[in-house]
Amino acid sequence: MKHLEQSRIALLAGGELGRLEGWLAQRHIARCAECRAELAGFCLAANDLRELAEAMPELPNNLNWNRLSEEINGNIRVGLAAGEAIALFDKPVRTKPRLGWNAALVILGATLIFGIAFWTSLPPQQAEHLLASLKRIRTERIGTVIHSGAATPDEAVVEASSSGIQVKENGRTLSLMQPRSDGATVSISMQGSAGVRFVDADTGQVTTNKVYYADQ
Amino acid sequence: MRTSSVLLASVLALLPLNSVVLAAALPKIDFPADSPVDLLSADYGESNESARGGALLLDFHAALSLRNAGQRKIRGITLVVSAQEVTPGGKGSVTITSLDVGPQETFPVRIDLRLLRPLQAASSVPVQIGLDGVLFDDLSFYGPDKLSSRHTMALAEWEARRDRRYFKSVLASGGPERLRQEMLESLTHEADRPSMDVQVVRGGRATNFEPEKQLQFAFVHLPDSPVEPVDGMARIAGNEARAPRLEVKNRSDRAIRYLEVGWIVHDQAGREFLAGSVPAELNLAPGQQSRIFENATLKFPQLGAQPLAIESMTGFVSSVEFADGTLWIPTRGDLGSPQLQRVMASSDEEQRLARIYRKKGLAALVAELNKF
Repeated sequence: MKHLEQSRIALLAGGELGRLEGWLAQRHIARCAECRAELAGFCLAANDLRELAEAMPELPNNLNWNRLSEEINGNIRVGLAAGEAIALFDKPVRTKPRLGWNAALVILGATLIFGIAFWTSLPPQQAEHLLASLKRIRTERIGTVIHSGAATPDEAVVEASSSGIQVKENGRTLSLMQPRSDGATVSISMQGSAGVRFVDADTGQVTTNKVYYADQ
Repeated sequence: MRTSSVLLASVLALLPLNSVVLAAALPKIDFPADSPVDLLSADYGESNESARGGALLLDFHAALSLRNAGQRKIRGITLVVSAQEVTPGGKGSVTITSLDVGPQETFPVRIDLRLLRPLQAASSVPVQIGLDGVLFDDLSFYGPDKLSSRHTMALAEWEARRDRRYFKSVLASGGPERLRQEMLESLTHEADRPSMDVQVVRGGRATNFEPEKQLQFAFVHLPDSPVEPVDGMARIAGNEARAPRLEVKNRSDRAIRYLEVGWIVHDQAGREFLAGSVPAELNLAPGQQSRIFENATLKFPQLGAQPLAIESMTGFVSSVEFADGTLWIPTRGDLGSPQLQRVMASSDEEQRLARIYRKKGLAALVAELNKF
C-alpha cells in the first residue's frame, strides 16, 4: 500500500487540508496503521507546541512590524556587503604580468621587426603598389577621397609627354621613346591611347608613336 | 689554367652589374607570309637592360630595314609592338606616314621602346613586333588593322594631299618668296603652339578632392563639317576632366561610321591647349542625331608652380569617316580660325615640308612639292 506523504499528514493534523483531500486522507488513515501512528505523532507535537506557546510571555502590543522588517533587510544587506569585501581580500595579489601578456608582447615585437624588414627589402615599385593598394582600401572603406597626383598603379594609365608616351599597368611600364627630332606633337584619345608625332631628325620621316590600353 | 680562370673571374666581377648585354630578350618579328613588306635586317645595337632599384629597365632600340615587296607605292606603315609579360593590356605602335616608297625600294623604321618591370618577374621579356597595316598610294590598305591604323594613315594622307595642294597653289600664285613666308610662319606656329603633358585613365575614379562640377562645351562650328555638335558636357574637378558626353547630328546626305571631336581646354590663367580627342565609332544615318560617351578621365599635371584649373572647354569636329570609307577633314580655312589656329598642330606633311625647307632650303622644298 502506498502511504501518505508526511507533509500531507502534517497538514491533516493541523486541520489545514481541503475537504476532498482531507476526506481521502481520512479514508487512507482508517485503513493504514502506519499512517495513523504518524498522524497521532503529529497531533501530539502540535499539542506540545500549543502548550509551550501559552507558557511564553506575550509579545508587546506596540511592536512595529514594518520597522522590524526594515531592520532585518538592512542587516541582510550589510552582511552581503561585508561578504563581498572579505572576498576581495581573499583574492591572491598578482605581482607579475600573466604569461598571456608576455606572449602578446613577444608576438607584437616579432611582427614589428618582420614588418620593418619586409618593407625595407621590398623593391620601391612594389612598395609603392602596396601603399597605393592600402590607400585605395582606405578610400573605399572610409569613403574619403585621397588626393593623388597620379592614378593608383593598378589602374591602367596612358600618358603622353613631349619626351615620350607610356602605358602603365600594375607598376609596370611600356614606353615608346622619341629619338632626336624636330619638335613633337602630343595627342590623347579618350578611348585609351596616347600618341606623339615627330619628324625624325636622322631619316626625315614623319613618325607617330602610340600606346594603347586594353581592347584596342 | 688556374691563372686564366682567376683573370676571367676578375673581369666578370669588374663588369657593371647593372648593365647587361641584352641577349635573351631579342624580339620576335613576325610579318604575315603575304605581307607587302619584307624585313631585310634588324639591328639592336644599343639595346640593354639595367637594374633600377627594385625594377628592371629594358631599353630596346631596333633599327629595321624594310623593303616594299609589292607593286604599289607605300604611303604609310604601322608596326605593332607588344610585351605581354610587362603590360598584358597595353601595346604600342610605330606609324610612319608621308612615305613615298616604290616597289623593291627599302626604307628604315626605328623603334625605341622602354620597358620597366619588377626584378622578381620572369627573366626574359619577349618583345613582339608585327605588322598592323600598310597604306598604298591609291589609298588601298593591307593588314589586320587591329589598331585602326587604316584610319590613322588615311587621315594623314588626306591631310598631306590637302596641304601639298595648298602649298603648290601658294607657289603658283605667289612664287617661291611667298612659299618661304608660309614656311617661316609654319615653323613659328609650331614653336609657339602650347603643349601639355596629359594622362588618360579608362574608367578611373576621381583622385582630386576638389568639388566636381558639370561644364558645358562651347563649339567651333565649321561650315563644311558633315557633323554638327549639338550639345556636350564633361565633369570637371580641378585639373581633371571626366566622362565627356556629346550630342552630334549628321547633317550630310551620307551615312557616317566614325568621327572625332577635338577637345580644347582653357584654364583660369588664360592658357589653352588641345587636350585630346573624343573618337566614336557609330552608324549615323543622314539627319540622325546620336550621343557619344567616353568613360575616361583626362588628367593634366601641374604646370610648374601653378596648378591647372579647367575653366572652360571648346569642342570641334576634327575628322569624319563616311560609310563608304571616304573622309572629311577641316579645310585650311577652317584651321585658320582664331580659336583653332592657336592650338592646332600642323599636319604631318606640313611638318615634313617645313623640315625640308629648314634643312635643305627653298629649292629642295619646291622640288619636293613638284614630285607629286
